[in-house]
Amino acid sequence: MAAVEGLQEDGHADAAQAPARDAGEIVLKLDNIELGFGGVKAINNVSFEVRKGEIRAIIGPNGAGKSSMLNCINGFYKPQKGSISFNGKTMSAMDPHFAASNGIARTFQNIALFRGMSTLDNLMTGRVLKMRRGFLWQALHWGPAQREEIKHRAFVETIIDFLEIQSIRRTPVGRLPYGLQKRVELGRALAMEPSILLLDEPMAGMNVEEKQDMSRFILDVNEEFGTTIVLIEHDMGVVMDISDRVVVLDYGRKIADGTPDEVRRNQDVIDAYLGVPHED
Amino acid sequence: MFYREAGIFKTSYAADQALFRIPFDRIFVISVVLFAALVIPVIGNEYWLGSILIPTLIMAIATIGLNILLGYCGQLSLGTGAFMAAGAFMGYKIATAFPWMPIWAVVILGGICAAMIGVAFGLPSLRIKGFYLAVTTLAAQFFLLWLFQKVPWFVNYSISGVPTAPPREMFGYLVTGAEASVEARYLFILAFTVILALIAANLVRGRIGRTWMAIRDMDIAAELIGIKPLPTKLSAFAVSSFYCGVAGVLWAFCYINTVEATAFDIFRSFTVLFMVIIGGLGSILGCFLGAFFIFLLPIFLNSAPGWVGLEVPTELISHVEFMVFGALIVFFLIVEPHGLARLWAITKEKLRLWPFPY
Ligand SMILES: Nc1ncnc2c1ncn2[C@@H]1O[C@H](COP(=O)(O)OP(=O)(O)O)[C@@H](O)[C@H]1O
Ligand SMILES: [Mg+2]
Repeated sequence: MAAVEGLQEDGHADAAQAPARDAGEIVLKLDNIELGFGGVKAINNVSFEVRKGEIRAIIGPNGAGKSSMLNCINGFYKPQKGSISFNGKTMSAMDPHFAASNGIARTFQNIALFRGMSTLDNLMTGRVLKMRRGFLWQALHWGPAQREEIKHRAFVETIIDFLEIQSIRRTPVGRLPYGLQKRVELGRALAMEPSILLLDEPMAGMNVEEKQDMSRFILDVNEEFGTTIVLIEHDMGVVMDISDRVVVLDYGRKIADGTPDEVRRNQDVIDAYLGVPHED
Repeated sequence: MFYREAGIFKTSYAADQALFRIPFDRIFVISVVLFAALVIPVIGNEYWLGSILIPTLIMAIATIGLNILLGYCGQLSLGTGAFMAAGAFMGYKIATAFPWMPIWAVVILGGICAAMIGVAFGLPSLRIKGFYLAVTTLAAQFFLLWLFQKVPWFVNYSISGVPTAPPREMFGYLVTGAEASVEARYLFILAFTVILALIAANLVRGRIGRTWMAIRDMDIAAELIGIKPLPTKLSAFAVSSFYCGVAGVLWAFCYINTVEATAFDIFRSFTVLFMVIIGGLGSILGCFLGAFFIFLLPIFLNSAPGWVGLEVPTELISHVEFMVFGALIVFFLIVEPHGLARLWAITKEKLRLWPFPY
């Protein structure tokens, strides 16, 4: 398993300690989150926080509850217990509209693009919350409505340039190859100008070259726009390379939390990845 | 060679976002509209204007309405006929209650009443989807028609139950009712068709249209982007029913010249649905292609054997008609859901390369 190899390969205890970046303030905090589906406990009493400007990875075997965690963060799932603090508000569950309008954007494990729409329209859709002109202006598509379209189009074009997807602007995204779809989905999330970007396995199913491109985009977004990133990824090499801190989930519980180096040396994490049988 | 986009460079986003990005398209559409407005009324006879163009244009308006709901927002409705009836009956009530009101305002108010009724029947769309939503709208179809037939208030207690459309003037010409000239009625309808098609095209390429399509393509992702599903779906129901309502008023006032529920039965709903499917889901141009196709095909089938000197019994022709429609609908549903509009787009791609297809 590639994941295990990545873990072993760089797993030296004496690996040079990367200087942790200036820790920003806490922007998102999850406390004692519990989420179940019928009998299945997808998340079991998990707490962690995300600091401003960091790249925070969530890792763990399949079914560990990583995607469910992101779904709680942007309000798609409502946890049964626990609380979420964001933007100075503490709530028992996030509201999707509140999350979106307060700068939480995401991509999905199984691409969730608007397949019938062009790349451009997908990205423009990311900006609907920022567009204000009412129905009548839009019916005329003139004056303020047109100026607004042009302003947002200009912004979306900067993202198109950034992601190097100029040539597929007008292509319906359903016809694009998988790797490009992942890129367009990142573009749609970026179009929301998020303060926190949730990425659910952005590199799954990609070849090495595509992974490198995607890693570069993620790092650039983080550095250039100062976007805080929460990232789920299976490729250990990538995770260890680009993330500042890592949460490890296994069977819905948090088993480790720390810098990549700390996590790599954690015995529970090694066991989880090597498939040591669980006591329960 | 004439139809091309090479060499046309957009120098602004405004130009790139224009309704017709290729000058040829713009010139073509403007020419068609001018031809329809200036030449056709002169050269068209009573039959072509009154029995073909008028109903086709009205049905095209209803088709745009259903296409907004189904093609753009992904919500299936079988209640198109009922929403048209709502427009027709409310238009009648308004026109008779306020005889001084300009007829264009009556048409628009009829559409607005239909929009409100459409929103009411769109409410279940938050919870139910696809087939089940279709069944709900089917209930609207039967309930509303029953209501209009059973409650005499809607027809001002007319003894026959089928009142005639009130005659109304615009710019000094009668445009509604049986006495109005066919040219005046045609131009009145054409004006509505052009303006409503333009508004629809503007809506679908702007923010509202994108929210509709986002709900259609992936409602979960749309919601997480901040699009609220219920207001978005209801806005599609409202706009869609408005178009159907306007079509209903025009149908009653300018085409059949009577206000009667039977004109808007379930077959009307299905005809509009077929026009959407054959014309192309999610295309405004397709609405016109679909409407014309469905109106002209039977006429073509009836006269084509005559052109080659064949005598075919009319009964056989009507059977052939059903078979051809059935086959076409299956074809478009399975092979080309984007309908005639997509076939037209493919032809244009070919034209762009012509005569050097490499
Ligand atoms: N909508 C759902 N309905 C039922 N069970 C779910 C649902 N979403 C997730 N689960 C369950 O929760 C557990 C965690 O899933 P998930 O968060 O997708 O894991 P991961 O992303 O770490 O692979 C799994 O057992 C999964 O079957
Ligand atoms: Mg997952």
